[in-house]
Amino acid sequence: MTRWWNQLMSRVYARVPSLSERYGRRSGTVGEVPLPPLARLATLLSASRVGIVTAGGVHLAHDPPFDMQDPEGDGSFRIIPGDAAAGALRITHDYYDHRAADEDVNCVFPIDRLRELVAAREIGSVAPRHVGLMGHVSGPQLERLLDRSAAEIGKVFAMDGVGLVLTVPG
Amino acid sequence: MPTVSLGVVRSMIEGTPAPRNVFVPFRLGQVVGEPGNAAQQQAVLRATLGAVTRIAEPGGLLELPFRWKRGTYPAPVGMATQPPSPVDA
Repeated sequence: MTRWWNQLMSRVYARVPSLSERYGRRSGTVGEVPLPPLARLATLLSASRVGIVTAGGVHLAHDPPFDMQDPEGDGSFRIIPGDAAAGALRITHDYYDHRAADEDVNCVFPIDRLRELVAAREIGSVAPRHVGLMGHVSGPQLERLLDRSAAEIGKVFAMDGVGLVLTVPG
Repeated sequence: MPTVSLGVVRSMIEGTPAPRNVFVPFRLGQVVGEPGNAAQQQAVLRATLGAVTRIAEPGGLLELPFRWKRGTYPAPVGMATQPPSPVDA
């Protein structure tokens, strides 16, 4: 399947939400991954440090882009500094229509909005490091994401004293 | 570590639920809101983060009461200089 075709279909899916719902139903579940007990906030939200994991293919422009050639996606991740300017970011993801997010990255990576909530004292602080992933992974790339990347991401957030992680798809 | 996951495809959320799930009926690629609409984006973000204390059971789902292009939102807070933030396309 060509990148051109994937990008075209991503625009169709963005316009027709029922197609995405059908895709989700056909995708089923990811094995038998048990849900852990809910972790509770250690402090009030207004004192919590918040990190973002975006699956929208966001990364620093000078970092390697996500692999668009492997039909099973790319299970690696990229670190996005909390003080990165939007102009230093890029989106590499053929499986959703990211023209709106190219215009305003907050559509899939709400870093400016997070900073504003800190300024308004609604949350405690913005994490110094956030994470960009590529959604739409399967097979060995999904295993790579679950078995390796997820643990490494958890270590990054733990090291940075993150108290709450927001995950956002593309 | 507490997490809260925002999504726009209900069937995917229900098929592979995260510990805490928030659904908003927006478009793929504009999950937090329209480009440049800080009020909408802030409202979605605030409600999503707030779900961390509202969802009581693992896999729980909270549906946000917002509607695409038809919602009204409070004036954004904490803004200094916030035009849209284009990436290096």
